[in-house]
Amino acid sequence: MARPPLDGIRIADFTWVWAGPYCTLQLAHLGADVIRMETKTRPCITRMLPPWPDAKPGGLNRSGYFNQYSQGKRSITLNFKDPAAHEVARRLIAKSDVVINNFAHGIIEKMGFGYEAVRKLKSDIIMISLTGYGDTGPYRDYVAYGPAQVPLSGLSALTGYRGSPPMHAGFSYADPNAGVHGAFAIIAALFHRAKTGQGQYIDMSQWECAMGLLAEGILEYTMNGTEPERIGNEDPQMAPHGIYRCLDRPDKVMGIVVDQFVAIAVADDAEFVRFANAIGQAALASDAKFATLKARKANEEELNRIVEEWTSARAAVEVARVLQEAQVAAAVVADNKFLSEEDPHLRERNYFVYKEHPEVGTLQHCGMPWKLSRTETSVRSAAPCIGQHTDEVLTQELGYSADEVAKLRAQGALE
Amino acid sequence: MAGALSSLKIVEIGEMASAPYASKLMADMGAEVIKVERPGVGDHARVRGPFPGGQPHPEKSGLFLYLNTNKLGVTLDIARPEGFEILEKLVAQADVLIHNVPPLEMDRVGLNFERLNKLNPRLVMTSITPYGLTGPWRNLRAEDLTVWSAGGVCVLNGAGPDHPELPPLKTFGSQSGYQGGVHGAVATMGAVMAQLRDGEGQHVDVSCQEAIASQLELTFEYWPYMKMIATRLGKKPIQPLEAMQCKDGGWIYLCCVEEHQWKGFVEVMGNPEWAGEEIFSDRLKRGENWEALVIFLEEYVKEQTVLDLYKKAQAKRVPFAPVSTMGDLLNSEHLKARGFFVEIAQPVAGTHKYPGAPLKYGATPWEIRLPAPTLGQHNGEIFVQRLGLTSARLDELKRTGVI
Repeated sequence: MARPPLDGIRIADFTWVWAGPYCTLQLAHLGADVIRMETKTRPCITRMLPPWPDAKPGGLNRSGYFNQYSQGKRSITLNFKDPAAHEVARRLIAKSDVVINNFAHGIIEKMGFGYEAVRKLKSDIIMISLTGYGDTGPYRDYVAYGPAQVPLSGLSALTGYRGSPPMHAGFSYADPNAGVHGAFAIIAALFHRAKTGQGQYIDMSQWECAMGLLAEGILEYTMNGTEPERIGNEDPQMAPHGIYRCLDRPDKVMGIVVDQFVAIAVADDAEFVRFANAIGQAALASDAKFATLKARKANEEELNRIVEEWTSARAAVEVARVLQEAQVAAAVVADNKFLSEEDPHLRERNYFVYKEHPEVGTLQHCGMPWKLSRTETSVRSAAPCIGQHTDEVLTQELGYSADEVAKLRAQGALE
Repeated sequence: MAGALSSLKIVEIGEMASAPYASKLMADMGAEVIKVERPGVGDHARVRGPFPGGQPHPEKSGLFLYLNTNKLGVTLDIARPEGFEILEKLVAQADVLIHNVPPLEMDRVGLNFERLNKLNPRLVMTSITPYGLTGPWRNLRAEDLTVWSAGGVCVLNGAGPDHPELPPLKTFGSQSGYQGGVHGAVATMGAVMAQLRDGEGQHVDVSCQEAIASQLELTFEYWPYMKMIATRLGKKPIQPLEAMQCKDGGWIYLCCVEEHQWKGFVEVMGNPEWAGEEIFSDRLKRGENWEALVIFLEEYVKEQTVLDLYKKAQAKRVPFAPVSTMGDLLNSEHLKARGFFVEIAQPVAGTHKYPGAPLKYGATPWEIRLPAPTLGQHNGEIFVQRLGLTSARLDELKRTGVI
């Protein structure tokens, strides 16, 4: 295999929490040397959140949250209260291609690493700030927190059970969405730099990035002046289209019964004929109440009851298998146990990553969602322990001697 | 100044969101994208809407118009040998082919990297499919709902522990497609950088299921690390993290994760006595005693207006946010000042506002140069002027339904 696509590209990574680390994870996956600047005086919150191996909290290196999104990166610790730490960061930026942060607007400038400052260190640098609201506009100083960005984006107003209040997406969706868009923007800027020699600054608003995902809702409003109603798991052009209860998991997990569901989407009348046959009720397909999409939409509640009567007596994997054999779109509503142990497909594709980590051992983490045929695509290492690469980076990349590093450490600059 | 990707030439064979969104991201930054659609019907997004006045029309679908800005549109039946031959001519001149032709259809028409790579050794070919091109689920039928579910995110969303009878809830729109698309755009750009370096192309296999499984926050690792299952029924350990309704009928999302955020909110509420109770004294206790806390908070919030509470909270750096309606977004003073929404005129659909640039580049523009193409709009320009087909041949291809 040829070298990874971004081999030789270095990222000076000021990011933390999720949006920024998800951005630099994409770049690490493509082979960039991502060097996370952290501090023990205020560690990334994800280092201090569960899950912990064997449910035993403790330390800064054992969180599954951090260890998932920092795979393949290096970590150095810098205490920015000490001017000597600023000098280390300046030397790192001077030897980097990209500077990334996801602090609130204005913080990186206050730290002395705004775009005007960093371009003096490296004239063709590419810099991106992934802020909640962007660098301009009257709300630019507003603070953004993962869970609140989903409702802010408009997705919550569009998501919910029929006739019920707005709902969440179930995770801080705007964060990884901003991260992955940021990664795309950075590589596009690297391409432009390769062609022209010109670097640039990129202003990202997580809010705006998320609104790109709900064009159908926004266009309904701009074309017709109406707010789309929330329709649960239904689809205006498909029926049945829903999430249906199946048998509970056969075994309790930690003493708790775990319910299971299947997602079914029948796209057209021909697929409905196959569906009706598969569930042993071929007559449904010729019943005037269900024969056409229009009829199925008009009698959707009754149809859903019939579907759920069939699914609820069966295991979700069995329902999905039977329907897929009949070429009907169906899938187990996967939970983390299902993905981890029961999904045969992800395993067969070698999606999961198993890398030795000094404090948690070799645990399963999610990998990259793509495979490249010619260039290397593998996660090169487990997530770093905090400051694991401080000595290595300072001496091998930034020209510090071992004595100088010891002195910096003694004065507290590398906390 | 030209867009950052103005030297890239892309061919897209895409339907709905995934491949079209990937190539839209590139087209809006200057890349030339030739979009190949099925003769007669075109991209399925053309029937998805929304439509002006609710009247379906293949040139007026909001989803299609949004996802296909800045593209040149041709029609081509690639399942016919004459059609595939023309596709080969297009691909021979391209840097990148992005498609989401389902795997079984790829096999049927012979759309594979080895074949196209022989014609164009530099070609980057990106296949964005629900489950990827290898593995036992390669050929499964899929819709957005089933892929969003198979990726492991749907199980996390729902009514919560008070309503276990309600099923997991899909997020609005074509989210599995968007995530396959943007992750595919990242991988494609990676392959383009390697193309620039080595002068060689490669095949990029992107799985929408994996793109979703890659972003499950901290929930996936609960199984490998702690053997715990994460679902919609989990009680939130930290509160408040909930939407509540205000007196103007709108909703606001209350969000206090850090202690200083809660303190700021208590000040906004005028330091009510109940806030000093021991049972609300830290974030975990507020989670444990949410049933009590929610009564006090609802009492307060229902007397506020969304915008007023939002601004008062933000003034104390408390990260509340409105549950934005579409109208709120279009009327937002902040988004107006940033010029987020863009007006695009398309000859058949008319002029409407659309979501604009996801990011603002300092040196290279994001711009709408062309509205989405009408079906086959650029057949003449591409097939005759670019590929050198004669007008007589074009007519014949049209007559036989190849274009």
